[in-house]
Amino acid sequence: MNALSFVSKRLAPAINRLVPVKTAIGKGPCIGFLVCLLLAIAQAPEAKAAAPTFTVGWSVYAGWNPYYYMARSGILKRWADKYGIVIKVQRFDYAASLDAFVGKNIDACTMTNMEALDMPAAAGIDSTALIVGDYSNGNDAVLARNNLTLAQLPGKRIMLVQKTVSEYLLERAMDINGLSGQISQLRLMNTSDSDLVGAFLGNQGNQVTVTWKPLVSQILAQGGSVKPIFDSSKIPGEILDLLVVRTDVLQRPDGSGQRFAKAITGAWYETVAQLAGGPGADQAINGSAAASGDSVASYKEQLRTTYLFSTPKMAVDFAESPTIKQKMDLVRQFCFRHQLLGQNISSVDDVAIRYPDSTVQGNSQRVRLRFDSSFMKLAQQGKL
Amino acid sequence: MSTMPVIGQLTDIQARPRRIWTQSISWVLFLVGIFIYTQFSVVRHKENPEDRVVPSGVQLWNGIKASVLEPAEEDDALDAGATTVQRVTHSMVWKDSVSSSRRFFMAIVLLIPAILIGLHMAVFPYVEALLLRFVLFLDKIVALSLLPILFIAFGIDEWSKIMLMVIGVGPTLMLDTYNIAKSVPREQVVKAFTLKSSNLDVAYRVILKQILPQVINSVRLNLKPLALFLFAGEMIVSSDGLAYRIGIMRRHMGMDIIIPYILWVAVLLFGVDALLRFVNRRLHPWF
Repeated sequence: MNALSFVSKRLAPAINRLVPVKTAIGKGPCIGFLVCLLLAIAQAPEAKAAAPTFTVGWSVYAGWNPYYYMARSGILKRWADKYGIVIKVQRFDYAASLDAFVGKNIDACTMTNMEALDMPAAAGIDSTALIVGDYSNGNDAVLARNNLTLAQLPGKRIMLVQKTVSEYLLERAMDINGLSGQISQLRLMNTSDSDLVGAFLGNQGNQVTVTWKPLVSQILAQGGSVKPIFDSSKIPGEILDLLVVRTDVLQRPDGSGQRFAKAITGAWYETVAQLAGGPGADQAINGSAAASGDSVASYKEQLRTTYLFSTPKMAVDFAESPTIKQKMDLVRQFCFRHQLLGQNISSVDDVAIRYPDSTVQGNSQRVRLRFDSSFMKLAQQGKL
Repeated sequence: MSTMPVIGQLTDIQARPRRIWTQSISWVLFLVGIFIYTQFSVVRHKENPEDRVVPSGVQLWNGIKASVLEPAEEDDALDAGATTVQRVTHSMVWKDSVSSSRRFFMAIVLLIPAILIGLHMAVFPYVEALLLRFVLFLDKIVALSLLPILFIAFGIDEWSKIMLMVIGVGPTLMLDTYNIAKSVPREQVVKAFTLKSSNLDVAYRVILKQILPQVINSVRLNLKPLALFLFAGEMIVSSDGLAYRIGIMRRHMGMDIIIPYILWVAVLLFGVDALLRFVNRRLHPWF
């Protein structure tokens, strides 16, 4: 008791000073206030800015690095100014860029055809592939030690990032070589791409890996007996690298989405023309290599195994060909087999794809991914 | 006096709330959380009925059913007449829980020597001289950054993941045990020796005996770092486990599976914690 009264005497002035705090907390229905505050925060992202500003997300990859150069060199700004809009370019990790796109935090994003299908499209976000930029023509590879062949893979541990183009490539390799019956016997080890090189090379017991460049180059440079036994040049046009924009952005009633599409397409083909050996090629290659911190030599080596659609005509021809439908069918069947289209999708046709000639692969009521060649065509005709 | 607490009472240190009030107030934030989630989900589904980022109740329920009752993707399909037990033991949540738990408990078993090392450091001056500085140093190493070395030393199978947990949590546990043991009054040690105790008697029967409840509490506090290291390991390289599945599902926004998984992990950790608390109370009712 003595101690307590001592404390209260000593603390009396301090407690008096705290009284206003007490009234502030005590009187207000503070929990209700908290709820309102949280709701306000939750609702805030829905408010849209009126200024026609567009954000493009990209991630490090030979075929996407040019977006960085395009923004840095001022090419993009020139095109954006021409159409009276603002375009921001932002770099992400690949998975994070897809999350941001699906979360509608960015308007357009670079991704492969497979992720375009199993991330935004399968999540119900109607997406449009605006630019068909390139396809992997050897960038993705199955690597093995000790002269293993594909037929010897069942039972061996295979390190790869599961549910990505790596797994797709592996299954296609087995398929093409008549080994599709043995796909279920493959022992897959999901390995983060950030640790794959070290983990694979660190132990001679790891015999097989499937990955992409520049990781492929790093492994081949350091692992003496490692050889590629299959690569994406044997499945040309199946691993496409796209620029995808949300369809609702493209169709904004004020027409700013169309202006954005025109500006970015125009800027892209100006950039690619430089990259493919036009005037300013060195600058474009240096700038794109800098985007990922690669050396110029390494970036050039990656470009060699990337089939760049360097003119709008090449891209339009591919996007309007019957080939793309066959390739996309392989990809969508893969996605469906692996439940990448969602747990409750009962048919592969429930995530339908629409092509430039208006044909639809799947249920025409449920078109989620559209290939649109019209902007590339405008570029081809020089009408941008 | 009414049963409703007066507003002024809410800020009164000396308030004696009725049990029914304390019970119901403790659920308020859960309800708020569920309410906000639902609100968020409804808004997003109004805009996009197939939204997978904030799944609706139905989607979550389907996700739970798929993860508990359907065979894991890598498992063979079950025949139609399979019993519920068979379905559950072939489900992904079961297989993942089993393999993650095995790693978890292996790590906990390997942490027992860490406790003993901490005890010996506190009790035997020469052990302290040998180990204390090194353990202090080791404790400051960010275990995750050692992962590439662990892969080389222990392969990419079970051991690298278990060792990541042990290396991550071991030094902390050693130091904590050391500190707790050091706080045992010196007089007790002297007294024990005057009663003809041997060195080991003092270490194990005087000091360990009375610090054990605190050490178990320290293990309880370290359950979450343990889980964190386990998850980090499983996300980086594995072919099964709870974090493996979460990592895979993230690849295609399978939030309908991920959210039930996160809650399930919380329940499992809570269970381990409750078990240790129970053991502690049983073994050391005096604590």
